[in-house]
Amino acid sequence: MRDTRRSRIVLAILVLVSITLIVFDLRGGDSGPTRPLRAAGETVLGSAERAMASFVLPVRGFFESLGGLGDADARIAQLEADNARLQAELSTVANDRARVADLEALLGLVATNDYETVPAQVIAVGPAQGFAWTVTIDAGSRDGIERDMSVISGAGLVGRTIDVGPTTSTVLLIVDATSSVGGRLAGTSQIGIVSGTGRQDSLTMQLLDPLAVVDVGDVVVSFGSEGGRPYAPGIPIGVVAEMRGTEGQLTRSAILEPYVDISRLDIVGVVLRAPESAPRETLAPSSVGGG
Amino acid sequence: MPIRRAVVAGILLVLAVLIEVTILAPLPFPGATPTLVLVVVVILGSQFGASTGAVCGFVGGVLLDIAPPAAGTIGITALLLTLVGYVAGRFAESDDRPWWSFALLSTLAAPLVVLAGAALGGLLGDPRVRWDEVIGLMVSAAGYALVLGLVLMLPLRRLCRWAVPEAYSR
Repeated sequence: MRDTRRSRIVLAILVLVSITLIVFDLRGGDSGPTRPLRAAGETVLGSAERAMASFVLPVRGFFESLGGLGDADARIAQLEADNARLQAELSTVANDRARVADLEALLGLVATNDYETVPAQVIAVGPAQGFAWTVTIDAGSRDGIERDMSVISGAGLVGRTIDVGPTTSTVLLIVDATSSVGGRLAGTSQIGIVSGTGRQDSLTMQLLDPLAVVDVGDVVVSFGSEGGRPYAPGIPIGVVAEMRGTEGQLTRSAILEPYVDISRLDIVGVVLRAPESAPRETLAPSSVGGG
Repeated sequence: MPIRRAVVAGILLVLAVLIEVTILAPLPFPGATPTLVLVVVVILGSQFGASTGAVCGFVGGVLLDIAPPAAGTIGITALLLTLVGYVAGRFAESDDRPWWSFALLSTLAAPLVVLAGAALGGLLGDPRVRWDEVIGLMVSAAGYALVLGLVLMLPLRRLCRWAVPEAYSR
């Protein structure tokens, strides 16, 4: 009987402590009393996850390659076809490169993919029942990473860092429901806000101009924040898959298909510094014509 | 709580949290991520009683709430797993429970924790909660908890008995 009473008291205390934690965490935000707790989690548990990942990653790779065995033949055929096509394209590259060099010199542009990045590997993922699309990567403040830096992969924009420990960082993916990125339709000046939907295969883009002409298949790139943080400019986000709302309506939105396959994230890059936009020289007619 | 019991429970909980976020969550399981921590809390509660079970649930929950890349509100998982650990301990007070009944208990608890987590998150204004996915998450969470419970119950019970014999001397 005494034991039951004691366990009830323990239960009551722990429930109260949990509720207190919830209230503090909701009220506190970034400077609140639960901040040290989260930082401790990032530091201690993050390091432990990193150690764990060094055992886990080779095993995971093995299982994933097992799953892909059946597709290997089809993949080889696909790659051979790609290779042949690329060989053909390669012959024209030398010519193109010379022209690009000429044009770049003319415009005073810097090479576009000039982002200074730190490579990192995804080592942990949030449980699906938490509804949050976040991952942990194995690079942190010791590698020069700070809060609110863009994270990219070979395909495009992945997300931004929201928590940084010494050796690990937490990345909020662009598909998370709390994520929003300034986006621009490539080739035009149409801008909008790209928000996550909580589903890994779609994003929504709220267009600022209700009269914007948008077609399915248009490419959306990041607009870029001031100072390149949290989002560096010019990173591909996705393609327009569907338009919602008719032209001229007060708000129009587009459904985007992200370039990055969230379920297969592996190696990513954290953008430490966006390319500095080179001052463009004004083009005088004489300089173009070459005299 | 005796030191040995705390050490054994602590190691098991930390391992469970690490395995859940670095191994189980990245694997493409359909629906929910298998709730290993919950199953471990049920086992610990069933072995060490309701007080220890509640403490284990709280510790496991806080660890899950702060283990990167957790982004939800700190305390929600702690609250729910505290209740789970307590209930598992009370459930074990009757002597004639077969071992598999605790696997069934975790099968029942896992979907309820998913539902309660979504409801609490929604009430507290978390914009991420997607109600159209909750049913699928509950069903899959129950299935994974059943499998994990059946697989882990006997080995972990034996481990507890071996590591903390004094808890069973009564």
